[in-house]
Amino acid sequence: MAPRNCVLCEKNKAMLKRPKTGQQICKDCFFYVFETEVHNTITDAKLFSPGDRVAIGASGGKDSTVLAYVMKTLNERYAYGLDLFLLSIDEGITGYRDDSLETVKRNQQQYSMPLKILSYDELYGWTMDSIVKQVGRKNNCTFCGVFRRQALDRGAAMLGVDHIVTGHNADDIAETVLMNIMRGDIARLGRCTSIVTQGEDTIKRSKPFKYTYEKEIVMYAYFKKLDYFSTECIYSPDAYRGHARTFLKNLEAARPSAIIDIIHSGEAFEIREEVKATQKVQQTCRRCGYMASNDLCKACTLLEGLERGMDTTGITERARKKMEAEGPAPSNLRTIPFYKRTAGSPAVMIESSPA
Amino acid sequence: MSSCGAPAAEGGEALMQKRQKYDKSKNCVRCKDNIGNIVVRHAVYCKNCFSPMIAAKFRRGVEPYVNEAPKGRRRLKASGNILVGLSGGVGSTVILDLVNQSYFAPRTDTPGGKEHPRFNERIWQKGFVCYVDISAVFPNMRDRTNEVRNAAKTYDALEFILVRLENAFDDSWWTSVGGKPSNSELFVDFADQDLLITAISDSNTDPVAALRTFISALPTQTAISQAIPTLVRVLLLYTARHLGVSHVLLGTSLTSLSISLISSISQGGGFTVREESDEQWMAPGSTTPIRIIKPLQDVGMKECSAWAWWHGLPVVQKEKLPGTGQDIAALTKDFIVGLEKDYPSTVSTIAKTCAKLAPKHGSVRRCLLCERPIQEGIDDWLTRTSIRSLSIGNTTPRFSTARLTPSLCYSCHTTLTSKSSRGATKSTSSFVRLPVWLSAGLQSAEYSMFQIPDERDQPAEKTSAKDTEVWQTRKIGQQEMKHAIGDFLIEDSGQ
Repeated sequence: MAPRNCVLCEKNKAMLKRPKTGQQICKDCFFYVFETEVHNTITDAKLFSPGDRVAIGASGGKDSTVLAYVMKTLNERYAYGLDLFLLSIDEGITGYRDDSLETVKRNQQQYSMPLKILSYDELYGWTMDSIVKQVGRKNNCTFCGVFRRQALDRGAAMLGVDHIVTGHNADDIAETVLMNIMRGDIARLGRCTSIVTQGEDTIKRSKPFKYTYEKEIVMYAYFKKLDYFSTECIYSPDAYRGHARTFLKNLEAARPSAIIDIIHSGEAFEIREEVKATQKVQQTCRRCGYMASNDLCKACTLLEGLERGMDTTGITERARKKMEAEGPAPSNLRTIPFYKRTAGSPAVMIESSPA
Repeated sequence: MSSCGAPAAEGGEALMQKRQKYDKSKNCVRCKDNIGNIVVRHAVYCKNCFSPMIAAKFRRGVEPYVNEAPKGRRRLKASGNILVGLSGGVGSTVILDLVNQSYFAPRTDTPGGKEHPRFNERIWQKGFVCYVDISAVFPNMRDRTNEVRNAAKTYDALEFILVRLENAFDDSWWTSVGGKPSNSELFVDFADQDLLITAISDSNTDPVAALRTFISALPTQTAISQAIPTLVRVLLLYTARHLGVSHVLLGTSLTSLSISLISSISQGGGFTVREESDEQWMAPGSTTPIRIIKPLQDVGMKECSAWAWWHGLPVVQKEKLPGTGQDIAALTKDFIVGLEKDYPSTVSTIAKTCAKLAPKHGSVRRCLLCERPIQEGIDDWLTRTSIRSLSIGNTTPRFSTARLTPSLCYSCHTTLTSKSSRGATKSTSSFVRLPVWLSAGLQSAEYSMFQIPDERDQPAEKTSAKDTEVWQTRKIGQQEMKHAIGDFLIEDSGQ
């Protein structure tokens, strides 16, 4: 069957079937709708103000590579007036980050954006290699995830930025909605579809790719010839996210709109008022000043557990209480530097892009 | 961002720990004497203790909703009749048995004497069992009406009512249940995102043909699996209204509820997630709502099956719809039933989590297809998040033509318009007759804003790694990217 014309411009030959809408469109129209939808997401949520310093969480993977490209494009096209930075976290996994950090460094040059790379080793005194060596592979995601989140905030504070944008896409959000329902995590379910998250003392964080399908991100990278590194973590079959991910992919195959439909569902409901009243109030970590649900934030609890050889301390409530019962932390314990936001002025030297 | 996921990134458990099937001993947790016969979410019950436990759960699920003013009177007295929806499946068969046993069958085992008021006055004056036959959907489906009728015969205190799915397109049925006959037959174009409405005067009025046209015009198998229960539900509700019913009881078990919750959320039904477990329906023009109760929503499918087996209930084998299996409802069912085997608590976690949710905004309108609340602003949200036209903001929206879209909830709109990634995209118009209540709703005063165009008589042309994690870092080349999106490339679209 001869290819039809693009249903949008009705002039060019259709080259792809858009995963999100099923429409047959041409390459130029695909770029247009892809970028315009991200622009709509940004403007509808009023994510930025002129003069904002914005860090792009860059891993060298497809999402952040495309995000950096699109942010630069939109910033110029629509005159957002943003100062864009690249912020990368080096978890310290031998062979894992080396190649993808090269991609980030190349982005730094291509897009003329300053880059800051912050390592776990620098911040926590532990690399993921050393953590895995101590705790094994079973719970290492907990450490990596908690440490990465805080590292991004701290890296952003060092850069003196107002805002971090991450490459979380529609698939990630839909998957998180399902996962939080299945494990009964009502607090996270309530906030996982929010485009912006910001604690009292944390840097504003947002997801401009909230409505962007993973497949379309790959498609965009393909047509724009952007190269990236795949940094997938293969989960054990029993993991919650693994279940949710497989299920979501099946749903998408059955009906591609399932991803955006789940996000729509997640945006349409909220936690009932009487349930909200029972939620924990956010506190500040007494050791490092970061947001926390208990006296100590999750990262400090995990780090103390590592330092004291009690690895599951931050994983289960029971282990945390056990550690508390064993007495106060020794005075020579390595801790995370106190968290202080310094918006507007960088607290560290950052690598400027070569002219 | 295809993150490593970090399921426990903010402190949750990374793994779902498998537990023993039962907690302590093999003896019944209730009487402590008998050896258990069934394990219900890690607790062991013997056969003798199991039945009262389920019956008590059932009554707890019904009785708080019986009186109109719950605190006003102690005595249970409903404002209308009761209708049990019977599909012939396990859940509805069990609930019919429980309704009969608890509220209609003569009871001799209760103290209080023959003159006690509980023997003289029923909570509901009349009871009905309603079966909606769906065999007309496809030509070769078996009509199970007689089997279901025979199964319901045992309960002679409840009157059997038969409704057929094609009644949704039958004006005479609509009039017989008190509906206002519509002035003209309304049709909708499923090929158009806006779902343009037109009126056709000279049309085929055979309800079966109209039903089949409606079903075959739906864009995906998921839409078919979603549309049929929606039609069944609304047919039940209008039948209930006609019979003066105040309470409709459905045999949705905890397992079925979890399936329908996840399935509904996956189809964009988040705004009405509460209605999946607890719903009050106000018929147009009525002042008293009908309460739809699912009293088995705390009872798993396994317990329902055990009840049916131990009480010798005739469960009619359900016939599978042709082509089902890869639709969202079936995938969700497989997923949840699979989870329930290994992690029995997950099913109740899903239901409990969803019970803590409420719609973000209030609603003043209801969807004309499913009769559930509509969230406002859907049209705009869709336009902003999924651009389908380059003319956004440059042209006047198509309000001059009658559109069904604004009268539908997100979920129903998705059902009628969302296409599959496989198969050809329909490019020609396919005008399909609308269900009777939808036509009536569109022609009511509330929706008189929809002007039927003058030319309406002439439809327009139109890896698995056990217990380990492996970090993999690979450069993704153009070929691999192409492979990932290959299904969506129309031809060799390498630049």
